[in-house]
Amino acid sequence: MLLVLLTESALFVLIAAAVLAERPVALAATGAAILAGLAATRFVTPLRTALGRAFERHHATALVGGAAGALALPLALSASPYWTFVATLALLYVTIGQGLNFQIGTAGVLNLAGAAFAGLGGYTVGLLTVSAGWPSWLAVLVGPLVAVTVGAVLFVPILKTRGHYLALVTIAFVFIFNILMNNLEFTGGPQGIKNIPTLQLAGYPFTTKPTVFGIGLPAHANFYYAALLMAALTTWIIRRLYDSWLGLALNTLRDDEIAAKCCGISITRGKLVAFSIGNFFIGLGGAFYAVMVGFVSPPDFDFGYSLVMLSVIIIGGVDSIPGVILGACLLVPLPERFRFLHEYRLLLYGVVIVVMLLYRPQGLWPAKVRRYR
Amino acid sequence: MSALLETRGLTVRFGGLVALDAVDVAVDGGETLGVIGPNGSGKTTFFNALTGLYAAAAGDIRFEGRNLVGLDAHVISRLGMARTFQASRLCLGLSVFDNVLIGMHARRRSGLADLVVRRARFLAEIRDAIERAAHLLALFNRELPARGFEPVGQLPQIDRRRVEICRALASEPRLLLLDEPSAGMSPEETAELMKDLQIVREEMPGLSVIIIEHDMFVIEGVSQRVVAFNYGRKIAEGSFAAVAANAEVREAYLGRETARA
Repeated sequence: MLLVLLTESALFVLIAAAVLAERPVALAATGAAILAGLAATRFVTPLRTALGRAFERHHATALVGGAAGALALPLALSASPYWTFVATLALLYVTIGQGLNFQIGTAGVLNLAGAAFAGLGGYTVGLLTVSAGWPSWLAVLVGPLVAVTVGAVLFVPILKTRGHYLALVTIAFVFIFNILMNNLEFTGGPQGIKNIPTLQLAGYPFTTKPTVFGIGLPAHANFYYAALLMAALTTWIIRRLYDSWLGLALNTLRDDEIAAKCCGISITRGKLVAFSIGNFFIGLGGAFYAVMVGFVSPPDFDFGYSLVMLSVIIIGGVDSIPGVILGACLLVPLPERFRFLHEYRLLLYGVVIVVMLLYRPQGLWPAKVRRYR
Repeated sequence: MSALLETRGLTVRFGGLVALDAVDVAVDGGETLGVIGPNGSGKTTFFNALTGLYAAAAGDIRFEGRNLVGLDAHVISRLGMARTFQASRLCLGLSVFDNVLIGMHARRRSGLADLVVRRARFLAEIRDAIERAAHLLALFNRELPARGFEPVGQLPQIDRRRVEICRALASEPRLLLLDEPSAGMSPEETAELMKDLQIVREEMPGLSVIIIEHDMFVIEGVSQRVVAFNYGRKIAEGSFAAVAANAEVREAYLGRETARA
């Protein structure tokens, strides 16, 4: 138990250090420490088995420790509003990634229109708050429903097709969505929708700077905690759905449609359910993004973001729920850390994915067999 | 008593090719019917037409008095017809239990809300289901339940075939279709499979079975009645001995005897 908590504390310190290190020397030292830690857990077999057993046995402790770390992170990042924002973004990608992974990983519905469904959520929030004057929190709840509805109506005829065809149609959908948002009057064209009012819950506006344990936090910490709650809830719901009849049926129809049919599973219905549940969480992430940054515009939801969402799943492990969390927490902050590489960091990003697909296609945290707990 | 399953003039066409030509077959409750015929004679097509994977071009399929023509495969499955496939169609990455549990999916009682919020109901149901899956697996091989949470891809071929039969039985069917269960097996494994089929017979006396086989010992050992197919037509029907002695059947398998000078 001590080992679990110790490992998690070390991890927390390393993450905070990696994020906050400013001078090249400090950054290099942290990088070296992280690499050394990774190498030790990978190649020192006694340590590896001891850690594996400890985390297996003290599952609950590990979860509580992880939650404590996530809650404490803004305190460590309090000096930097920017990194608090990036951490929040990573949490949004957890929510979006869980939704998308439920479609792609669990049900084999290759949806490459993640950006468009996030955009549907975001634009709905923009239109409802700015044009219709709705309160932000209500708009954030309605946004995902619009994503689900549009997805269901447009894609029912296409869900019967398999694999690549669906991928092609969804790619087309992202581009159509972008062209529409750029050209429609009521969505603000290329400028998008500005001045989306911030979230306000029970009279508490999210622009106030909170103080926790005497530490003044940036205003983005409000969004961080809201996004943390959202990501945790999403993960909890998706995990329960995955570890159930539904997850099992979707896995079966992904692996073998004919076998699934002969077990009484309706392929069209199964895919539609998975697609809708996934789109709900993708749309939720987009809607939250809109109230967090206060504006939406077409480039916020272009095809590149679909690929980022897909990469989160590939890095973490297709069909793996903890993998999505790991993938989002690696893929969103890392490119920010390497900003000094300018345009080359995108290249680095591509290299990482190619290397992953070649040498560890099951992802960093592969899915395990279902245990129904 | 009317038959459990009865086809009348069942025909399947692929373009100009008549894969199944006006086939009349009936199976009674509790009966095991063997289906034989050379490669390409329409045996598997017959199964695919029964289970709704292929559309019938003409004819009727009556199952417990109900016409199945035009129904989707998943609907037919829920009416009580289960099958195995010639080439295994297990989900190799999923656990052994999962591959059997999916057979019980159609009989689940918990809804979406039970899965997320009223979890206790679902967990009780799934515990029962896993217990039943373990029971089914143990009928065939006592060691299988202990490996229930391993990926099915790690099992040897014969155990995979057993898991597939368990998946079919898990749906509590009234009619079981076995498509060449001995395919790709050694003589020893085939002998074990024969025993397995006897177990199925004893455990579920009311279950009707249609079995496609090339291994005549299997057919002779398990079936009460045999039909023979050739070129999509039913060419013979009756006891194993009668069908085996049938001139047309012999010709289909061995060719016509020609007078030698």
